[in-house]
Amino acid sequence: MGKLALVLASGELEKLQAASIIGSIASTLGTEVLVFATMDGLMAFKKDVVENKAWKTSGDLGKGMLQSNVPLFVETFRQAKETGNLKLYACGMVMDMLGLKIDEFVDLFDDVLGVTTFLGMIEGAQVLFI
Amino acid sequence: MKAEEIKADIVVDARGSFCPGPLMELVKTIKDAEVGKVIEVLSSDASSAKDIPEWVEKAGHGLIGVVQEDSYWRIIVKKIK
Repeated sequence: MGKLALVLASGELEKLQAASIIGSIASTLGTEVLVFATMDGLMAFKKDVVENKAWKTSGDLGKGMLQSNVPLFVETFRQAKETGNLKLYACGMVMDMLGLKIDEFVDLFDDVLGVTTFLGMIEGAQVLFI
Repeated sequence: MKAEEIKADIVVDARGSFCPGPLMELVKTIKDAEVGKVIEVLSSDASSAKDIPEWVEKAGHGLIGVVQEDSYWRIIVKKIK
């Protein structure tokens, strides 16, 4: 129950995996989960990166995840959106800065937001910065 | 009746899938099932065998039992609400 905010600022696969698992399980228990992808954490959702599995890994664990059949974070977030109350938001600042459009990212995002809007949405939430 | 003898209405075979795969498959199945149905999850993932019962309790469903087989676990759950 309650509200959980995940700020994804890292593009490292291990961190994104952990965030997606925590967020998705929380959402199945009735927690409202709000995910804000920014900086490298947003770039990890670019279509070409996802298609080529071109994520940064911090070590052997991440490399192993890419080779084994574990569900990757994109799929885990997609499932969470289908089964629970989880929403993903893309950082508008990064997109403006790099001239990127939302259709260059995998089809997971509910909206493109600025920080002020996101801060308003997560008032009273527990926040995890990843 | 012992957990081993319960006949499940729905069996979710999530063997070979890692955390959170087995749990997410259970969540989907439980959402679509009718109240009162017994669902059995087969998982070869030890952390799921521990974590699924925790989820079942938090989500307000009934844990009938966890049965360890040779190379996997059977987690038997009743949909309560």
